[in-house]
Formats: sequence, structure tokens, C-alpha cells
Amino acid sequence: MPATLRLGASLRILIGGRDEYAVEPGRSVHETLVSLGIKPELVAMVSVNGEMQTKDYVVQEGDAVRLLAVVGGG
Amino acid sequence: MNGYGGSILRVNLTKGEVTKEPTPADVARDFIGGRGFGIYFLFKEVPKGADPLGPKNKLIISSGPISGMLVPGGGKCDWTTKAPLTGGYASASMGGHFTAEMRYAGLDSIILEGISPKPVYLFIDDNKIELRDASDLWGKGTFAVEKQFKEKLGEEFQVAVIGPGGENLVPYACINHDYGRQAGRGGVGAVMGSKKVKAIVVHGAKSIPVADKDAYRKAGMALYKACKDAEGFKDWTRYGTTIVVSWCDEVGALPTRNFSAGSFEGGKNIYGPVMREKIVITDKACFGCPSPCGKYSRNKKYNSFVEGPEYETIGMMGSNLGIDDIEAVAQANLLCDELGVDSISTGNVIGWAMECYEKGIFTKADTDGLDLKFGNVEATFALIEKIARREGFGALLAEGVKRAAQKVGKGSEKFAIHVKGMEQSAYATHNATAMLLAYMTCDVGAHHNRAWAITYDLQVGRDKVVPEKVARVIWLQNFRPMFDVLGGCRLQWVELGIDRDLYVPALEAITGIHRTWEDLDKVGERIWNLTRLYWARENEGFGRAWDMPSPRFYEEAPTSGATKGQITKLEDVNKLLDMYYEQRGWTSDGLPKPETIEALGLKAVIG
Ligand code: SF4
Repeated sequence: MPATLRLGASLRILIGGRDEYAVEPGRSVHETLVSLGIKPELVAMVSVNGEMQTKDYVVQEGDAVRLLAVVGGG
Repeated sequence: MNGYGGSILRVNLTKGEVTKEPTPADVARDFIGGRGFGIYFLFKEVPKGADPLGPKNKLIISSGPISGMLVPGGGKCDWTTKAPLTGGYASASMGGHFTAEMRYAGLDSIILEGISPKPVYLFIDDNKIELRDASDLWGKGTFAVEKQFKEKLGEEFQVAVIGPGGENLVPYACINHDYGRQAGRGGVGAVMGSKKVKAIVVHGAKSIPVADKDAYRKAGMALYKACKDAEGFKDWTRYGTTIVVSWCDEVGALPTRNFSAGSFEGGKNIYGPVMREKIVITDKACFGCPSPCGKYSRNKKYNSFVEGPEYETIGMMGSNLGIDDIEAVAQANLLCDELGVDSISTGNVIGWAMECYEKGIFTKADTDGLDLKFGNVEATFALIEKIARREGFGALLAEGVKRAAQKVGKGSEKFAIHVKGMEQSAYATHNATAMLLAYMTCDVGAHHNRAWAITYDLQVGRDKVVPEKVARVIWLQNFRPMFDVLGGCRLQWVELGIDRDLYVPALEAITGIHRTWEDLDKVGERIWNLTRLYWARENEGFGRAWDMPSPRFYEEAPTSGATKGQITKLEDVNKLLDMYYEQRGWTSDGLPKPETIEALGLKAVIG
């Protein structure tokens, strides 16, 4: 079962494109981003099934991964 | 007038008189409210050359048409004055619940004028408005005073109060409210202190007329729904601005040891999740906010409670001072709030002092015996206290980093991190050219809230110096501060990414005036140019030199972290300014051209 990767509005606006991707498990979030052509450094926060993770987190089957960018800086 | 309380309250402190006048319709049309009102009244009413701490300066507190309304984040008000820190324009935004009560008392602006012969507080209970004796409150900390008022008057009264920092005219003193919200930057607290006003307490009982009630409800609900539905809603609410700390560390934007680097080896100990786990006990929101960024903390190590710390304070009191202990940062935050000094400027100036100490410019003989090594928590606490009270070595630091460095000399000016005399806030900008430009040209000095562009730098290429980056900064500078004009919070747009067009029907339903974002951006541009003209009017020789950043960002590359070896070249700094001035319609020395002034309808305003 693939995992889903959703982009928060701030990230989506920044890079354009889709807001949801089905991704294969077994790779880190960082590698997954590179494979999708998204610059990893644009992603400020990775949340997996509601918990904050780093980009080194290895995506598991069925994971719901949410990615946020920071566009405001407070 | 739909969408407005309808009155401007003038408080003549010298005479002890309060008077109301109708909110001028033409000013509401052209400047809308909030910081628009602030700069309009400042420019028109405070005479050229006024001493920021003298009787001729004014402190102008303004709400906007969405303040106190059911629009997400409608709890912001603007505090404008001539800045004691910079000698130019100051406008500080404050969240919480003050602005809502002010509006319910029918007040769009409160203008404090003159100087009271003795300490007073301004009491507003709807139509009952008085200046009352505050001699017994003078000298007290902000929390004690707020608590005292709440107990005496009731929770419905909102309190804005200065601490010893404001009383002692520290030029970066802030105003505290709601036990942890501030009008923070530029020294608005010192201006209030100079006027001998300890506090303003306000409660209102009126409603605000709206043009179309049904449309207002509908538009308001659409905005709330958009916030709740936003992808980042849960995470943002959980961590607030602390969400940024780890990312800033990763990309080299986390100020470290007086901005000498942008990544901190102890960073992991001050990241958002660590703070959430260690000290946060609940979330805290401003009026009408669905996405509370405020984090309320129980600090067991110091047996204290504090709202925060948020990102800026973690950056300035944590990594910038080499402190990797979130509880110590929270305690420093508490001290700044209680004593009424801006935690950004305070962290910046202490960072500079620590670097002076490291370089041997200061010894213990200068620092009242304090061992000012980076990372020294106790010395940091002691210095905050000394600054707010202007005691011993603290009196020098209480001048602000620019003046302190000018006094000390010995090359310390080179690592005094400021623009126009305002200490830079918590983003290191060694190799982030759009963000550097945002700081250089910000209308209050080196503050991040007008335009923030680091992610954009990363997307476009951090060292690229191209017209698109400049255009982005200008667009942000015109548009983002419009939230401070409307009296609302920008974070729902900024961080949750809700569609800004959703504000258009809400604003129309409230005021009865249809304004697109194109129209609003134009108002933002008008205000931006007026603030620039204010700087030029108040400072002889004002121009390009005032926009230069600290040499640290074009002379000294960090030796560690994500931006190791990276720097912005001086020629690129100048190129950025050339492009910026051209795109703004300003001269090559950074002054609005006559045709720009004319096109923005500012000729009549500046006279
Ligand atoms: S996001 Fe934060 S600053 Fe903005 S209104 Fe909500 S609590 Fe206040």
C-alpha cells in the first residue's frame, strides 16, 4: 500500500503543482522529495500520522505524510 | 461610518484632558486604519524634529476595520510613534484582546499627547474616560500591574502596561498586554514611559456598525472554515512559530552567537517539539483566532509560567547567545516581559556584548564582574535586569546596539547587527539576498514582519540577485503590513496559506466599500512611501547609507553551519538597492521621486 504525501497550501503555492502524491514506502522523506523534484530545503516541517518527524524518516506503508513550508516567518 | 468605532480619543497628558473627535472619513478612505492611521497622524501632527521622548511626540494606538470582528485574528492593534531607538518611524503590532475592547468603546485611535506631571493610567470604561493616578504602580513589573487591574476591575478590562524598562526610557522598551503579548519594537514603551503613562485599561460596551450583517457572517464563516480546513492547521496550532526553529537551523538562518553563523550546534535542544514536550502546557490565542500560535509554558526549572517563548525569542535569547536550554530561554523571555523590554533587541544587544567580551573589548572590569561568555545563562538574566533598570554596565547596553557600539568603538561597530539603529531580528542573512534586502529596507529598521523571504531565496537561489527577488520583497512590503492596517493577524494567510481573497468580501461587508487586493496593495504602497518620507523629513541626509546592513553579512562568512563560507558580496548589496529604488520609483539615493509621491496621492498629505 503506498503512502500519501500531502503538501500544505504554503508549499503548494510556492512550488505549484499537485497537493497530493501517492509515494512508495521504503525511502526517506528527503529522498522522496528529491524524486518528486521538490527541493527538500523548502520543506520546514514533516508530520507523519500527526507526529513531527525529520526528513530522514523512512516512509512506511500507509503513512499519511504532511509537508509544510514556511512562507511567513512570523 | 460602517466598520469603525467612530471616534478618535485625544489624551492631553500635560493638561490632564481627554477629548473625542469623529474619525475623519477621508483618512479612513485613504489609509483605512491601524498603521495607516498611525503614520497619517504621526506625519501630520508631530512636528519635524520632535524629541521622541519629549512632549511633542505622540503615541498613536489604532485599531482597524476587522479588529474586534469575527474575522480570524482580528485582535491586532498598531502602536505608532517617532522611535526613540532610531529617530525614525516606529510601528509595533500588538495582539491579544486590547483592540477589541477599544473598538467596543467606540475608539478607532487613541492619541497620547504631551507629558503628564505625575504617573497616571488611562481608564476607559466605554464612555467613562479618565486619567487616574498611578504613583503606586510606578516601578512595578508588568504582570503584577495587569493582575492588580484584572482583580480590581474585572476580567473584561484589557490592560496595556509598561514595566521598568519603559519608565527608565530604554529605547527598546515594549508595552505588555494579556500576560505575554507585546507591542515590541522601536521603543513604544519608552515613549509611553516618557509621557508618564503606566497603563491603559479599556472596556467597551458598544457594537460596531457593519454594512451588511448577513454578508459579514457569511464571509467571516468562510474565513474560519478556510483556516480549519488548511492542511497545516493542526501542526501550526500545535507548535506555533516554534515550528521554524529546526528549519532555520537546517538552512543557516538561525542567528548564532551574535549572527556569526546561522546554525547552532546546540540547536536541537531548543527546537519546537522539545519545547512542547518540556514546558508547554496549553495554547493561547488572540481575540477571535482559530489557530493559536501562543504557547503557554510551565517552567519547572525556574518555577515560573510564561507565554512563549516564540521563535524570535528562541533565536535571540537562545542560539544568538549560545544558550541551548529551552527553560533558560523561557525564563529570559519572562524577565523581558516582566521588565518591559523587547526580547529581540535585548537578545541582540547582549549578543553584541558577549562578542565584545570574547574579543577582549570588554573585561570583567567593564561588565560589573559578569563573565559574559556566550552561553552564560545567569549573566544573561542579570543583564536583562540591569538593562531595564539602566544599572551599571546595563546602562550602556540600554542605549541600543548602534549607540553602544558607537560609544565603545574598537571595531565593535562592525558586529553591531542592526539597520537604521534597530537591532536585527532572528534571521541570519549571510546568504539570503531577498531577506537581506527585506531587512535593509524595512520601514522601522531590521525587522522581519514586513517582508519575509527566506523560503523564496531558497527557491530562486539564495545568492541570486535578480529583479524578481526585489519585486517579491516590494510586493510583500506593500501587502503584508496591510494586515496591520486592517487590524488583523497575517499568520492565517502566511502560515496556513488561506486565500487572501477571502478577506475581500469580509471587508466589504463590514465597511460597505468594495476593495480588491489590488486596491489594498495600493494603500500599502502609499503607506510605505509615507513612512519613507517621514524618515527623510526627520533625519538630515537620510538616504542609501541608512539602508546598509551590518558588514557581518558582506564581509565575514560563517565558519560553520549550513552557510559556512557563504556571504553576500558588497557589490550585490548595492545592486539590490539600485534595483529596489528603481522599482519603487525612488531616486538612486532612496527617496521617493515627485512623480511617485503624486501618483500615490501623497502630495496633499505631506504638504
Ligand atoms: S496566529 Fe498567533 S498572533 Fe495571530 S491571532 Fe492567532 S494567536 Fe494571535
